[in-house]
Amino acid sequence: MKWEISTLEELEDKIWRCTACGNCKTAYKFGPPPAFGEICPAGVEFGFDGMMASKGKIAFARGILDGELEWTEDFLDAVYKCTVCGGCQNQCELDHKPFIPEIIEAMRRKAVAEGAGPMPSQKKISQSLSAYNNPYQGPRRVRTDWTRPFKKAKKPIKNINKEPADILYYVGCTGAFNLPARGVPTATASIFQKLGLDFGILGENEICCGSTAMRIGDAEEFKRVAEANLEMFQRLHEEKGVNTIVTSCAGCYRAIKKDYILAADYDKIMNGIRVVHTVDLLNGLFQEGKLKFSGELPMKVTYHDPCHTGRHLNKFEIDEDGSKLWKGAYVGLNEEDCLYDVPRELLKAIPGIEFTEMERIRDNSYCCGGGGGVMTGYGDWAAKNASRRIEEGMATGAEHMVSICPFCHYNLNEGSKRIKSDMQLYDLVELLDQVIPEPE
Amino acid sequence: MLAKREDMILDELRSIVGKDNATAAKHIRYAYSYDLSFVKPKLPDYVVMATTVEQVQGIMKLANREKIPVVPFTAGTNIGGLCIPERGGILLDLKRMNKILRLDTESHYAVIEPGVSHAKLATELYKHNLRWSWPVGPPSACSASCAISHGIGGLSGRYGLNSEEITSMEVVLPTGELVRAGSCAIQEDAWHSVLPLPQLDGLFKGWLGTTGVVTKLGLRVHPIPPVLKVFTVSTRNIEDMVSYVFNLGNYEICDDLTAVSWWLAQVPIPYPYTPKPDDTPEWFCFGTTFSWTEKEKEAREEIWQNVLKEEQNKGTSIEYAEYPEEALRARTQLPSQIVGSTKNYTKMAGGGISWPGTFTPVNKWAPVYNKWKDILIEHNLSPAVRVTNYRGVHYGMLRAMIPFNKKSSAETENARKAIVECLKVDLDAGGIPYKPPVDFAVEINKRAHPGYLSLLKQVKKLLDPNDIMNPGKLGI
Repeated sequence: MKWEISTLEELEDKIWRCTACGNCKTAYKFGPPPAFGEICPAGVEFGFDGMMASKGKIAFARGILDGELEWTEDFLDAVYKCTVCGGCQNQCELDHKPFIPEIIEAMRRKAVAEGAGPMPSQKKISQSLSAYNNPYQGPRRVRTDWTRPFKKAKKPIKNINKEPADILYYVGCTGAFNLPARGVPTATASIFQKLGLDFGILGENEICCGSTAMRIGDAEEFKRVAEANLEMFQRLHEEKGVNTIVTSCAGCYRAIKKDYILAADYDKIMNGIRVVHTVDLLNGLFQEGKLKFSGELPMKVTYHDPCHTGRHLNKFEIDEDGSKLWKGAYVGLNEEDCLYDVPRELLKAIPGIEFTEMERIRDNSYCCGGGGGVMTGYGDWAAKNASRRIEEGMATGAEHMVSICPFCHYNLNEGSKRIKSDMQLYDLVELLDQVIPEPE
Repeated sequence: MLAKREDMILDELRSIVGKDNATAAKHIRYAYSYDLSFVKPKLPDYVVMATTVEQVQGIMKLANREKIPVVPFTAGTNIGGLCIPERGGILLDLKRMNKILRLDTESHYAVIEPGVSHAKLATELYKHNLRWSWPVGPPSACSASCAISHGIGGLSGRYGLNSEEITSMEVVLPTGELVRAGSCAIQEDAWHSVLPLPQLDGLFKGWLGTTGVVTKLGLRVHPIPPVLKVFTVSTRNIEDMVSYVFNLGNYEICDDLTAVSWWLAQVPIPYPYTPKPDDTPEWFCFGTTFSWTEKEKEAREEIWQNVLKEEQNKGTSIEYAEYPEEALRARTQLPSQIVGSTKNYTKMAGGGISWPGTFTPVNKWAPVYNKWKDILIEHNLSPAVRVTNYRGVHYGMLRAMIPFNKKSSAETENARKAIVECLKVDLDAGGIPYKPPVDFAVEINKRAHPGYLSLLKQVKKLLDPNDIMNPGKLGI
C-alpha cells in the first residue's frame, strides 16, 4: 500500500515558515474578557525555549536539517518530551500551522529511521506491537476478557468475523487491555445492546490501530497494522455489511480519521464506510429522540477535552495552488469534526448532572499529559501533567471529571491518585450507561 | 583530574538555580541562537533559568567573577536580535519570574516580574477594567522588556512610550549588587513614581540589557473607557497624510494615531515588491479613541470632522476611508495573537522580519519615507511603512516592516542591506532607531557626539566594569 507520510526534509519549507515569534507558547484569547493559560505541558515542566511549544520543536527541526544538531541521548530525550497535544498549533497563525504535529512526528520518524529513536522505554511499544499486535504486551486471548460479563448475562456480543452487522465496534487496545479503562468498552457495548444496535466486534482478531507507533515515529510498524486494518475494514464492508466503524477510543478515532487518510487508496478502500466516535453516534440518536434517559445522576462534573477528539481533528484549508493567497498559504481552519459540543450536550442532558467548565477547554484544553508516547516513555511526568489537569478540575468545585478517551481516563486517574485527590474519573459512556434504560 | 572550566561553571550555575535549570546542551542553546531578524545566529554557552532575585544575583556574581557574558532574555520577540549573544556566555532566561506582585487598582499601577507576559497582565488587568499600552507583539512577549526597551503600544498617542509608564524598578547590577530606582528606593513598599528623584531608571531603559537585569518593575496602568470610535481616512501621498496627522495630533484626542502605507495595509505585506494599483490611496490612517460617554465621543468626532474639512479645504487628497474589519480589530483588540504572530507581516515571505524602526520628528516623515520607498523598491521589497504619533505632534515612530525569506541567505542579506541603507537616511534626517541591532548601533555611533559616546562608555564601565552584560550590543 502506498503512503504519503512526509519526511522531515519534505517539510523543510514549512519549517522555515516559523518566525520564532513565540505566539505558540501560551494560550490567549482577546475576548473580551481576555483569557490566558499555559498550554504546553513540556514548557510548563522543562521551561527552556527549546522544550517549549512549536517554537522550540521547530528550532530542533531546523537544527537537524542544517546539520547543527545530532542525535545525542539528551537531544533525543528532548524530542520525545512532547505530548504532541497540538496546544501550540492552536495558537499559531503562520503557514506551517497545519503541519506542526507532523513536523514533530517527522523528527521522531527520522530518529527511528536512523536508529536513534524511540526512547529505550518506548521501544517496548514497537516490540509489543510486532509480537502481540497491541502496545500493552497483552496476549491475544486477553483482548476479549471485558466481554465475559456479557457472556455470563447471556447477552453475547456478535463476533463480526462470523456474523454480519451494520456497525463494527472497534474497541481499541487501551479499553481491552488496560484494566482501569475496561469500563469503557463494557459501557459502550451495554449501551449499544440496550439501544438494539446491530453491532459486532473483532474480538481476538482486532489489532492495534497503530496510533502509538505513529506518535513515537515508528512509521513502519504503524503502516503494517494500518494496512491490515484498512484491508479488514474493506473486507468487512464487502462481506459482512459493515457500514459504520464506531470507537470509544480517541486515539483510535484520530488514527483512523487523520493518519489512515495518508494511505493513497484510503478513499477507495473506505468508500461507503463511516467512521464515528461513540458519543457522536449516541448524540445523533439522542437528537432523533431514540435515546432517552431514566433516573438521575446527582453529580457535579467537569469535562476534559481529549486532544485527539478536539483540536487534532481540525481541518485546515491550505492554498495548494496559490489561487487564493499564495502557494502553500494557511487560509483557515474548520472545527466541524472536533467533538467539543457533542459530549457537553450529552453530559448536560443527563438528569441530575451539575456541569461546570474548567478554564482551559475546547481548542485550548490542557492536555492530560500522556499522549505522544509520554505515558510509556515518561510515566512520572505524564502523571504529573495529569495532576495539573486534575487540580484545574478541582478548582471548579467538580467532584468528577468526565472524558471520552480511555487513554486520558487512565492518565488522569494516575494524576488524581498522585496528588491523593478525591476527583473521580469517568468516561462519558460510563455515565450514559447508568441512565439509559433497558428496553421494555 | 581537574574538571574543565566549562564543567565547573555549569556545576556552579546548577548549584545556584538547581540542576534542571541550567544547561550547556547544544540543542537547548541552539533554540536561543536566532530570532525573527536578519541578525546571524550565535550560540550562548549556557542557558540558565532563574526564579528568584537571589538566583539572579548569584548568577551575576559568578559571571562577573569569571568575566562571562550574560544575555537577559524573557521571550526573545524583539526584531533587533537583542537577545542573540554576540560573545556567547550565559543566556539568562527570566520567563519563570512571572509573578504579578501587586496590582493597585485604586492608584492604577502594577508591580511585575520580568517574565510576566502581555497575555497574563492583560487578563489580570481586565478584571479591574484596566489596560496597558499593548504592543503588536505576540501575547506571550513580556511587558517589562517592552517597557524598558522603549516599546510602544496602542495608547502611545495618549501616554507616550511604554518606558514613560515606568514607576519604579529593582535591578541586579552586573556585579550582583541589588539596586532600586524610583519611590521603591526610598520606601520599600512604595512603587508609585520615578519622580521627583533623579531618574536613575534611565540607567536601565534603552540600554538593550547591557547595564543590569530588571527584576521588578512598576508600571502605570489605565482605566478602559467603554466607547470606542476609530477615525479612518486615506490620502494619495505621505505629504497629505503628514498634514492631517499634524492637524489632528494637535488636539491630542487619540489613544493611537497611526498611518500605514498601502503595502503595510495588505495582509500580508506583499513579498517580493508588488506595485500599488494606481487607483488606490497610498496611505491609510486610523485614530483610535476611547470615550467615557457618547457625548464625549461626539465631541471628539466633531473635532475630527472639522480637521477632515480643513484638510479637504487645503486641497489635499484626503478622503474618509472604510477600513477593513480585520485591520481595525488588529488596532483595537490588543494584545492579539493574529497580529502578534506577525501574520500580517511575514507570511508571504517566510520566516524573517526586520525593520528600520525609528523615532523621527513628524516633519521629517515625508522626506524620509520617499527615500525609503526608492531604496526598498530597488531591493525588490515592499515599502510597508508605519507612522505613529507619540503624545502630541513633535515626534513619533517611523518604521518599515521588512519581511524576507529567512531560508535564503541571499534574500536575508538583501533585506539587511536595504534596511541599513534606510536607517542611514533616517539617522541623517535626525531620527533615532529603537531596539537597534548591532548594525544600527554602529551607524548611530558614527554620527554621535564624542561626549555622548564618552559618557555612554563611562556609565557602562561604572555599572559593568568587566563588560559582561549583553556585550557588543551598543557597538562601543
